[in-house]
Amino acid sequence: MNPERLVVVDGVRTPFCKAGTDLAALGADELGRIAVSALLTRTDMDPALIEEVIFGCVAQPAESANIARVIALRAGVPQSVPAVTVHRNCASGCEAITQAQEKMLAGRGKIFVVGGTESMSNIPLLFTSSAAKKFGQLARAKSVMQRAKAIAAFRPADFKPRIGLMLGLTDPVCNLNMGETAEVLAREFDVSRAVQDAFALQSHLRAAAARDKLAEEICPVFRSDGKVVTRDNGIREGQSFDALAKLKPQFDRRNGSVTAGNASQITDGAVALLVMSESRAAELGYKPLGALTGYAYAGCDPARMGLGPVYAIARTETQTGLTLADADIIEINEAFAAQVLAVIKCAASEEFAHDQLHRLAPLGEIPAAKLNVNGGSIALGHPVGATGARLVLTALKELKRRNARRALVSLCIGGGQGAALWLERM
Amino acid sequence: MNVLQRKPEKTGQPEPLEPASSPSPAVEKTVRLIARDDGICLVMFDRPGSSANIFDLRTLDELAQELEFIERQTELKGVVFISNKRSVFIAGADLNAMLKVASPDDARVLIERGQAVMNRIAALKIPTVAAVHGAAVGGGYELCLACDYRIASPDHATKIGLPETKIGLLPGWGGSTRLPRLIGLPKALDIILGGKTVPAKLALKVGMVDEIAPAESLVTAAARKIKLGKPCRSDHWLLNSRLVAAVVAPQVRKMLFKKTRGHYPAVFKALEVVTHGVSRTVEMSLALERDGIIELMQTDVCRNLIGVFFLQERARKKTFSVAASAAESKPVAHTAVIGAGVMGAGITQWISARKLPVILRDINVEQVAKGMAGIAKLYRDGVKHHTFTAHEARAGMERVHPAPTEVPLHHADIVIEAAVENLELKKKIFQRLDELVSPDTVLATNTSALPISEMAASTRHPERVVGLHFFNPVYRMQLVEVIAAQQTSPEVLQRALKFAQQIGKLPVVVKDSPGFLVNRILIPYLIEAGNLFESGARIEDLDDVMLDFGMPMGPLRLLDEVGLDVSLHVAATLAVHFGERMKVPGCLGKMTNAGLLGRKSGGGFYLHEKSKDAKPNPGVASYVQSQKAREITREELQERMVFLMVNEAARCLEEQIVTDPADVDFAMIMGTGFAPFRGGPLRYTDTVGAARLVGAMNHLVASGTAHFEPCKLLAGLAVNGGKFYPKN
Repeated sequence: MNPERLVVVDGVRTPFCKAGTDLAALGADELGRIAVSALLTRTDMDPALIEEVIFGCVAQPAESANIARVIALRAGVPQSVPAVTVHRNCASGCEAITQAQEKMLAGRGKIFVVGGTESMSNIPLLFTSSAAKKFGQLARAKSVMQRAKAIAAFRPADFKPRIGLMLGLTDPVCNLNMGETAEVLAREFDVSRAVQDAFALQSHLRAAAARDKLAEEICPVFRSDGKVVTRDNGIREGQSFDALAKLKPQFDRRNGSVTAGNASQITDGAVALLVMSESRAAELGYKPLGALTGYAYAGCDPARMGLGPVYAIARTETQTGLTLADADIIEINEAFAAQVLAVIKCAASEEFAHDQLHRLAPLGEIPAAKLNVNGGSIALGHPVGATGARLVLTALKELKRRNARRALVSLCIGGGQGAALWLERM
Repeated sequence: MNVLQRKPEKTGQPEPLEPASSPSPAVEKTVRLIARDDGICLVMFDRPGSSANIFDLRTLDELAQELEFIERQTELKGVVFISNKRSVFIAGADLNAMLKVASPDDARVLIERGQAVMNRIAALKIPTVAAVHGAAVGGGYELCLACDYRIASPDHATKIGLPETKIGLLPGWGGSTRLPRLIGLPKALDIILGGKTVPAKLALKVGMVDEIAPAESLVTAAARKIKLGKPCRSDHWLLNSRLVAAVVAPQVRKMLFKKTRGHYPAVFKALEVVTHGVSRTVEMSLALERDGIIELMQTDVCRNLIGVFFLQERARKKTFSVAASAAESKPVAHTAVIGAGVMGAGITQWISARKLPVILRDINVEQVAKGMAGIAKLYRDGVKHHTFTAHEARAGMERVHPAPTEVPLHHADIVIEAAVENLELKKKIFQRLDELVSPDTVLATNTSALPISEMAASTRHPERVVGLHFFNPVYRMQLVEVIAAQQTSPEVLQRALKFAQQIGKLPVVVKDSPGFLVNRILIPYLIEAGNLFESGARIEDLDDVMLDFGMPMGPLRLLDEVGLDVSLHVAATLAVHFGERMKVPGCLGKMTNAGLLGRKSGGGFYLHEKSKDAKPNPGVASYVQSQKAREITREELQERMVFLMVNEAARCLEEQIVTDPADVDFAMIMGTGFAPFRGGPLRYTDTVGAARLVGAMNHLVASGTAHFEPCKLLAGLAVNGGKFYPKN
């Protein structure tokens, strides 16, 4: 007897907006709450039936410990429903979904609200540890003399903050930031600046053309100052190759090719999905978007984290027997144009298949017509905790539109991993 | 005499035992003594068969008995007063007894008994502490004032205050004497004249309580205070001096006059008693209190205000005698509001503040956004006025779930339609709702004037359609008209009623008829104001005489606040059904067409500029048609407008729009702020005498104004000398 499948009943996301713009004033918990509230309203789901809330978040705000719980309670989920926050870096949004699958298979529940949220605008600045120590001494100082002494210990350097965002985007093991790993791939796989820019342009053009389609997944955000945010604001309608060409390389000033224009954007946003066992969905009268039919996470070299998808996709092939050719729609997260292009090359390369994947045949082709058909993170932005869930949602919606059967969703993960999920339309 | 700690009561206090002195009681007592090992005696108030403690004569006597016992003890170290009720310490004197008091002598007995008991407490040689959890108001707080110390729990239920002036009385059991001596004249005046009740934190700040302790620790904290012995407090010699009192009193009197136009004798009397008593001996001050409150108890104002208080209690608890079924007895858990305009937003904010989730639906993102912005502003204003903490406001806002696209509503227990006043649109909305909700969902409409029975008839399950008419602004107006359409089932009516109570509104059940109750009574009054204006009466005069009468706002100002377009629309609907007497004066239509809509457009009868007070709009002079009304005296202007309200109110009773005259009066007071001290239009008629009113109305008819024809009910009462309230 086949084990129960996890199905996605429906999903919704907030608009994705560049950090420091329309959604900057909202914390990650507020973004998550808005997405979950809109999800529950749309699906007319009785929150008391939910068995767990699982949310991905990378830069978990200090003031929302276990942000999934905060989101759940604020969205009106009863206190009795437990919640847990998950973190697999850029694939945290996927992790939430796959953990729901695992809990279901372990008999730990049938109905879950999952998703991911990120407010990169609000990633804090941090004091250095020497400054923190001095603050501690100041707080403990009792007498006037002690206080004066503690204050005198501070130096100008103590007030130079560590930038949380930069820290988060740097891999401590290989000591490269994400952009630098993309440069590694650009060099090793000979992905030229021009090709990267062309890919980036395509992302914007496709996203701009898909505004109406994207609107189907978006719920409006009603800000407390009265303004309403309804659109992704990372997409540049008038993006041109020339405009991209003008940009200076971001991570290697002299010899680099990765720019702010051909990399994903720093963005705020949240995604929420209602997932449950297939039988429960039928009992409740839902018509799900699709089912999760296979997934894998794989580890790889942190310095070449961008290749993660290739390893993960290979694993899913072993698991499910499905190959790239079986996918009608492919979503590969556009962390960097260079990285996606390197993945495409490696997937088609026999040599790579031999050396790295230890298999004879290459994975296959990733045709442009199937890949990121409505744009990707270069145009839409990459709120790191949420993107994994967005890709699943957007792929399922596109399968429905095309009346197609299967979608493959894959992401590279900072720290040297890859995630791959197979979805099937219902 | 060891008291073993048994399972703690709600307030964590030990199980009461019979004190050594009193014989085993034949009747259940309210006041019981509990002796402790440490020499402290607890006096516990636990009124049998009630969730509250009040001070009736019997309770006063029981307390006096226990005090006598305490006075005779030599080994007692201190006394702590506590209550065994969940959310009430002592809620004040028995108002029913107050109403029943027939003569000044009976009143004297009641007052002197209370003062005597409080004085006894104040005279005890050992330290006394009031350990307050729940409401300690009026007489209940006066007991606290007689104690040496007061400790309160920080719970939501704990309320401390002296609200007597709100029901036309003053604190007569020592409150007007002891509070100024405790916290100083100015702060005491603020509390007493404002009839204020404050939460524990604020009470601590102003000095009305000495300490805050969790409910479970109140007695322990009280024991600590007793160890300190009798307190030594400031006597506020400067603030309470004759000089300061003499300076403060005239200023306050002026302010009171401005606020009340002299209609509420209680505040003036209280001012007099407090400012004279504060610099004299306690005995003299108590005597002033006693004389003052006895005088006030004789006034109609007092009886009327106590009457309004009881009507509010009645509305809070009202039910129908319908067999309870499973669907009714469950409280509402999920709601939806259709329409995010002013009323929709107001209703949504109110419901969300009452801890219920609300789905707010409107036709598109822009409309929903307006509603959300409106709700956010209501919460912001609420925080500014300390109605909510910022935390509560955020939680409330999060209970609003916007729906700019159509969503299923199966889980909604009740859906309230508050869309535009257009019958066809409402019918369409109801038909669509039929598909989206579950069979159990109650469909309510907030329409002001459209026929609910017709809306119901266009749906598949008309028996679940009901009217739930809120008043503007929702956050301030406690009244809700619950309107039974022809098809509304009793179960649904009951559920609508219970829902109104659940969200803290005061319901009145009304028959489905144009304008229902309140608007129907208001419209002829507003029309008359409009006609008089058209005939040359001055805007200031028209509004002023009604403020003099006791309305919170004049008729032309009210038109501006509601909106001339909205008023015109309602009036026009009523005119269709009720004919000539609801005929709209021409100026309303002309002004509306010219864009003079009132506050919402910046100008109507008044100019509404942001930071300034509203001034009469010189620009409307062109709408005056004649000068006929110039000669009418202010007195007659007032009479004409009041008569029409009274007449229409009587008609509503005649036509059984409501069956109880108390419902008419209650609705007018709570829905329009009709002079509460007059008890409502029908009570006012009884006070003045139907014969006199009808006589004056007939006089007006004779001199050519036919629309003052008294209705049959009113004319009948005038003839046989009857009253709307024959028994009281």
